[in-house]
Amino acid sequence: MGSKTFQKSAVKRLYKELKSFESADGLALVQPNTDDLSVLYIDIKVLDNPKIYPVDETYRLVVNPSPTYPFDAPQIKFIKYDRYSDTSFKIPIHPHIYSNGHICLNILYDGWSPANTLHSIAISIQSMLSGNTLTIRPTDDGDYCSRAPSNPRLTRWVFDDDTV
Amino acid sequence: MKIKLNSTYAIYSWHWDVPEDELCGICRVAFDGTCPTCKYPGDQCPIVIGECHHAFHLHCIWKWLETDTSRGLCPMCRQPFHTDKSMAVNQGIDLTAAESGMVQNRGSAANGGENTSDSTVDLASEEEDTE
Repeated sequence: MGSKTFQKSAVKRLYKELKSFESADGLALVQPNTDDLSVLYIDIKVLDNPKIYPVDETYRLVVNPSPTYPFDAPQIKFIKYDRYSDTSFKIPIHPHIYSNGHICLNILYDGWSPANTLHSIAISIQSMLSGNTLTIRPTDDGDYCSRAPSNPRLTRWVFDDDTV
Repeated sequence: MKIKLNSTYAIYSWHWDVPEDELCGICRVAFDGTCPTCKYPGDQCPIVIGECHHAFHLHCIWKWLETDTSRGLCPMCRQPFHTDKSMAVNQGIDLTAAESGMVQNRGSAANGGENTSDSTVDLASEEEDTE
């Protein structure tokens, strides 16, 4: 799973994104293994919704870009534990975020466009949390998590809520 | 006073007729540069402009329209992507193979692979024509 299998277009664009990602406003893009583009982290803080998300809490997204990125969506989910840094994280509570870290957000699946960037996705997810008012998990959380594949892109998603 | 011109050196520069700071929305490289697979900019790596006025490197938008996830839509505005035939920059460029390839792919998933390889062949022959 090294960067060797990545297409040239993927490598060029990912390095460009790593370089230009504006690590500000509670967002940061981290490459845990130098020269390995297959695992990246996006750290998210929610700065303007302290009732649900404490300002100093960091949530970590693991990003696995496909070798054909940006023509395919990267695999993105929240993680509870990062083995590289031996750090634990919380999965943010949200009616569209399952307790296994999977996010129900159409741009991550069949609504993907190569015009999306890791930064634009990070902003989308951060604003999803900023605008949240409900401290609940999705209604089918228990059922979904018990049968969900590890890769959320393999799930057949139904997007039924346009208000978030 | 008479001036005798012994020799001249003609120097020219070119750039695509798009705003200079604009990048290809797919590869994020300036239009006057190349897509990630090309070596030389210009005729070797042309740009196309859609009816929606969004511009891309031909090779980038072609690759996108060939994917199943694209559904033939523009990456920027998600409207069906068709080249604007009235624009000079699009002359001689025909994306219909990729566009129609998508429709066929959706119609019969079993033939999807075949159609995709057909459009790749079309692109290759088109490149030869422009050279």
